[in-house]
Amino acid sequence: MGIDRRTFIQLVTGGVVGSLFTPVIWKSLDDAAIWSQNWSWIPRLKYGQITEQATISKFGPSPCSLMVKSVAGSPYVAKGNADNEMSKGGVDAISAGGAQLLYSPSRVKGPMKKVADGKYESISWDDAEKMLSKKLSAVKGQAGKLAIVSGDATGTSTEVLSAFAAGMGSNDCYLMPGDEQAAAVALENMGGSGQIGYDLENSDFVLLIGADAMNSWGSVVRNQRVYADNRPTGGDIESVYVYAGPFLNSTAAISDKWIPVAPGTGAIFSLGLAYHMLNAGASASVADFADFKTLVMSRFTPDKVEKAIGVAPGVMAGLAKQLMSASAPLVISGSEFGQGAGAVDIIAASALNMLLGRVGEKGGMKLLAELPLAVDSAVSRAELSSRDFAGYLAAVATDKVKAPEVMMAYEANPVYAMPQATTMAAAIAKVPFLVSFSTWMDETASTADLIMPNPHSFERFDDAQTPYGVGTAMLSACAPVIEPLYNGKSTVDVILGVASGLGIDLGYESVEAVLQAKAEKAGADWDSLVEGAAYVSDSTESGSLKFAASVLSKAVIMPKGGEIALAPYAKLNVGSSTMAIPPLNCVTVSKFELQGKDLFVQINGKTAKKLNASEGSKVKLAGAGGECVARVHINEGVMNDVIAAPLGFGHTAWDEFSRGKGDNISKILTVGTEPGTGMAVWTSSFVSVA
Amino acid sequence: MQQIEFDTKWTMVVDIDKCSGCGSCMVSCQAENNIAPMEDGSNKLKTLTWMLVYELNNGKEFPERESAYLPRPCMQCGNPACVPVCPVVATTKDEEGGIVSQIYPRCIGCRYCMAACPYHARYFGWFDPIWPEGMEKALSPKTSTRPRGVVEKCNFCHTRLMDARARARAEGMDPNKLPDGWYKPACLESCPTGAISFGDSKNPEHKVHDLIKDKNAFRILESIGMDPQVYYISRRDWVREQSDNHLPKDKH
Repeated sequence: MGIDRRTFIQLVTGGVVGSLFTPVIWKSLDDAAIWSQNWSWIPRLKYGQITEQATISKFGPSPCSLMVKSVAGSPYVAKGNADNEMSKGGVDAISAGGAQLLYSPSRVKGPMKKVADGKYESISWDDAEKMLSKKLSAVKGQAGKLAIVSGDATGTSTEVLSAFAAGMGSNDCYLMPGDEQAAAVALENMGGSGQIGYDLENSDFVLLIGADAMNSWGSVVRNQRVYADNRPTGGDIESVYVYAGPFLNSTAAISDKWIPVAPGTGAIFSLGLAYHMLNAGASASVADFADFKTLVMSRFTPDKVEKAIGVAPGVMAGLAKQLMSASAPLVISGSEFGQGAGAVDIIAASALNMLLGRVGEKGGMKLLAELPLAVDSAVSRAELSSRDFAGYLAAVATDKVKAPEVMMAYEANPVYAMPQATTMAAAIAKVPFLVSFSTWMDETASTADLIMPNPHSFERFDDAQTPYGVGTAMLSACAPVIEPLYNGKSTVDVILGVASGLGIDLGYESVEAVLQAKAEKAGADWDSLVEGAAYVSDSTESGSLKFAASVLSKAVIMPKGGEIALAPYAKLNVGSSTMAIPPLNCVTVSKFELQGKDLFVQINGKTAKKLNASEGSKVKLAGAGGECVARVHINEGVMNDVIAAPLGFGHTAWDEFSRGKGDNISKILTVGTEPGTGMAVWTSSFVSVA
Repeated sequence: MQQIEFDTKWTMVVDIDKCSGCGSCMVSCQAENNIAPMEDGSNKLKTLTWMLVYELNNGKEFPERESAYLPRPCMQCGNPACVPVCPVVATTKDEEGGIVSQIYPRCIGCRYCMAACPYHARYFGWFDPIWPEGMEKALSPKTSTRPRGVVEKCNFCHTRLMDARARARAEGMDPNKLPDGWYKPACLESCPTGAISFGDSKNPEHKVHDLIKDKNAFRILESIGMDPQVYYISRRDWVREQSDNHLPKDKH
């Protein structure tokens, strides 16, 4: 039988029709699609019981109370803890990836010592503690031989460190720079005690001078929550926000008004407002009111202020009027990037609160009482906050002060995060024995002689008291959410053990005991703290403040003008002074800040023309202590003659998610000395551009 | 394609005036939905950002400049452009609530849906998802991992809807009439400035029912008829004006 054309067509047609009706082809295609996605490197999910536990994270600029969700005991998502007053249910962009940070490639997995060729060798905790004890015993009782710096301004751990320093005979226990330093020095000069706080919740008109409340000033997440509550979606605005600063940052973007003011001139702006208030009859029954009035009326007249900071008299007068007519106005001043402001910025803003009669009032500026110390020999928070680490390191750099024999860095990365970073890193390099207690292989750990890793926030006992900026004294605490993944050890436990061996009795045997005692002395219930509640105290300091007119008179200096000023800014998603860009945050970085390895700084069109720069052009910025390379992004949200530059880039240690990306703007900050208080300041940094 | 009208309409309302662009929503979205970290996050053509925060400005020169931040999830369009173009029915809009699905094992990676989506809300996995060593232990049990070569997108954290429905069933309630606040996507839960509201816009007991009728509420590219289930609110005229390709005489 032959196959003719007809039979061939019948066979082909039959085959096509048949294939359409058979499921084999479709099933095979479906399976092929699934198999092709079934590759071995795709991780399988872990299932099990889902639980939630409260904790505190200290990755961001201020402590954040979280609820951590775990599956079969393994944390995977962090969310805000709505039952905790410290952060009111918010979560910052670093803490949101806190579970993933447990497995950060930058984690230090156990104690290590530096060996000859700059590499590290793992050692046992016994050996590490012996090594530390030996170095410390050689300097015990000798002032100036031991320095300690802590990046944790709120934890009782820092109290333990300060008590240990005292036991060692050292006065050199410091906090990393922050706005609380300027506030503490300001309060001291104004004759007050306690800690300055601001009752944002109950204010109906908030003027933020410099203070970037949504990114770097005060208790950031709490500020955001308070802002959200006072401005309900679809409802009436209950609190007006005005931001005064050099750059249209996100605080300015969500405020009702942005008033451009040159960087580091917050005090002049405040005193310019005071002029209008005094003119309108504002006064305060304070000892040095007359001196203050004379100073303001002679040196901060509208024309002089306009010449110095470029704000028109009409704008100042209008704002002063708004403040005076609000029922609960509040003025807050601080650095545009959370560090480096002078005490006069705070004093001048406090003067406005005093003229408005807002000190100690609901919705006003408060003087919060300190919670009792857990360790009797510890330094008070007020004193510790007022100590000047930048000033100390600057003195070491110039050999005005001899470098200590031993320096210990706890939750701090001074080699990277200090202003005029290269100079400060060189000062730290003079220290013969540097110890890092960092959880991460940061720049400081990478140069340390001994690394004794503290566990990750989710793996440890910790607490946080009254973060700077909040309106009431408070305390939160947490217990571990997960057993330590690696061979870390609580720094407090290390210090307690070493102290005991050196004959220094700090009164406790474990970190848990210290924190429990702190809670007990504060009048809080430890169990409820660990479950996620915050203890809140209404206790405030009594006594009135003075204007510190003599300090203002010396310290407020009108800018010369004509220079290019640097306006650094910090953003929550990029990291903090203790945290580089976390893995999950890489995609959140704006293309206007980083492209590939290139950092972008921002200037407006007019300044670009002046500097002969255009979009994307490369510039070299030079400050007193170093240089940075960046590209230009034209942004009309920057004021004339100002370069806005993001902090948090240019890491040289850490991991592939942050190392080598951009440049470190801290290098081109210039540390100066504030006349009148002597403290180191760096909000007025000028740069040359090439 | 005929538009299906559901009894429940899961709707997101974003208050642009409150968004500070902090990035918490983007980070928590990645954690919840098992999106692997990317070393070069600046390559915006290759990154996976189911939730992406855009920066807007009014286009004026200093000192008149204003700026705002606009978080953009998948719009879960009522009349989605992506669904009818999919050759393998890997994306559908057929479940009560109106969430546009994305079925990864069925996706053949042709990216027709990406081309069709006017909101750039769909993403193609260009690279193998690689978590740093050990980080796979922090994977969420709620979202399957995907290989490279498929398209993925926001699904309003759909498993959270499943969980809320399961809770309703366990408590003897109607799983299709969830109380306000029972179902919250991860981005909302982490937003510190409370810029994101979420709920069933057809349920008068839900806050979003009224919010979408706010005089300042709008949707992006409303004129092209996608009927998105994501609304925005802004008091600022210039923000609302940028939501669509309006003619100068249009009212906003």
